[in-house]
Amino acid sequence: MEIITTGVAGTMESSDIIVRVEPKDTDGIELSLESQVMHQFGKQIEKVILETLGELGVTRAYVDAVDKGALDCTVAARTLAAAYRGAQSTDFVWKNGGAK
Amino acid sequence: MFYTQTGVLLSGERLTKTEDFLHRMGLVYEGGANYTVQLVSEYGDILGNGCLCGNILKYIAVDSSLQGEGGATAIVSELVSEAYRRGITRLFLFTKAGNEDTFRGVGFYTVASTSSVCFMENSRSGISRWLSSLKKAPEGKGITGAAVMNCNPFTLGHRYLIERAAEQCGTLMIFVVSEDRSRFTFEQRFEMVCRGTEDLNNVIVQPSGDYMISHATFPTYFMKEGQDKLAANAELDFNIFGRRIAPALGITRRFVGTEPYCAVTRSYNECMKRLLPEFGVEVIEIPRYGGISASKVREALDKNDLQAAGELVPASTFGFLKGTGAAALRPDADE
Repeated sequence: MEIITTGVAGTMESSDIIVRVEPKDTDGIELSLESQVMHQFGKQIEKVILETLGELGVTRAYVDAVDKGALDCTVAARTLAAAYRGAQSTDFVWKNGGAK
Repeated sequence: MFYTQTGVLLSGERLTKTEDFLHRMGLVYEGGANYTVQLVSEYGDILGNGCLCGNILKYIAVDSSLQGEGGATAIVSELVSEAYRRGITRLFLFTKAGNEDTFRGVGFYTVASTSSVCFMENSRSGISRWLSSLKKAPEGKGITGAAVMNCNPFTLGHRYLIERAAEQCGTLMIFVVSEDRSRFTFEQRFEMVCRGTEDLNNVIVQPSGDYMISHATFPTYFMKEGQDKLAANAELDFNIFGRRIAPALGITRRFVGTEPYCAVTRSYNECMKRLLPEFGVEVIEIPRYGGISASKVREALDKNDLQAAGELVPASTFGFLKGTGAAALRPDADE
């Protein structure tokens, strides 16, 4: 998946995270995370963001995230939404196969 | 206890109450708000305020009774969300020195700070990404110089300054002020400078971007006295230029025209001569050529005296004024 424009998802409400992805000309993900629980869960949040982008096949992006204590599932969901918006894509591939 | 009100319309009684609140918080409302968020008590008293003005977050203040309750975070969070909804994703704010931590928590990072003011943006790598996107001076050509110019419009005076400056360095970078508050739009001014310097092969023309702070961008609303405002403005501007921009582009000389008319600009130039050498940038003042100024050209255009205007500008600008440029003039814009 290629990030072609700025994509944002999430809020700065408690228990949420706001994720912004932007296009990058060179290989690699440049991630910048700000979190109230950086010392406790910073590495885990970064891992979830990078894994989610990896599953989507995003290899080039600037990612800025401001976390307000989000759970892993929220981090993944916000990252997913921001990436789809940044790729201007609606070809959603749901991990659980979508609605049954 | 407070409520968050979004999209507050600043007019009538609400405007008066907002001005009073900001005044109590040591700020002066100078207009320009596109979107306003306020924290309001159950009795309707304003306890917090913040505005989105273009891509700048301004007038952010929270009453001391709400300190530690996340008031500032709530305001900034709403403003950022609204900016994103409007498609504005690169955001900036100015704050008093010492408030940096509050804004760091909502994703703002310091670009530069002085003893009185701190300039922040919502990206950790914003300025370095911008710097790497700029054209660089070719290697081994000697000294790199720079001048920041508005060129509203491009005159023989600008041409003279650029020629003299280009003689004194291997590469000269002209930064055309990006802020669109002048009679001629940025695109028009940029085109006039490019056309007017085409024959000078060691001149690079590029936009000034968001990091060379113009009088228009800089908030003076939290400075008490006129002189303080100017000094703080200049200090921050030269701090960013000296600490971030000049080293990244290898600039060691900055050129500026002498200013016989405007006291504000003159004092700005004095500040430049005092501050930039601390960062290893030599400041060279070039005497004004034949008393020509862009304001005289605009006066002539106001009188529809194209001939008088033509005597003050190079042929490339004159062609522009006669052609599409004249039709696109905006006589009502701020000067």
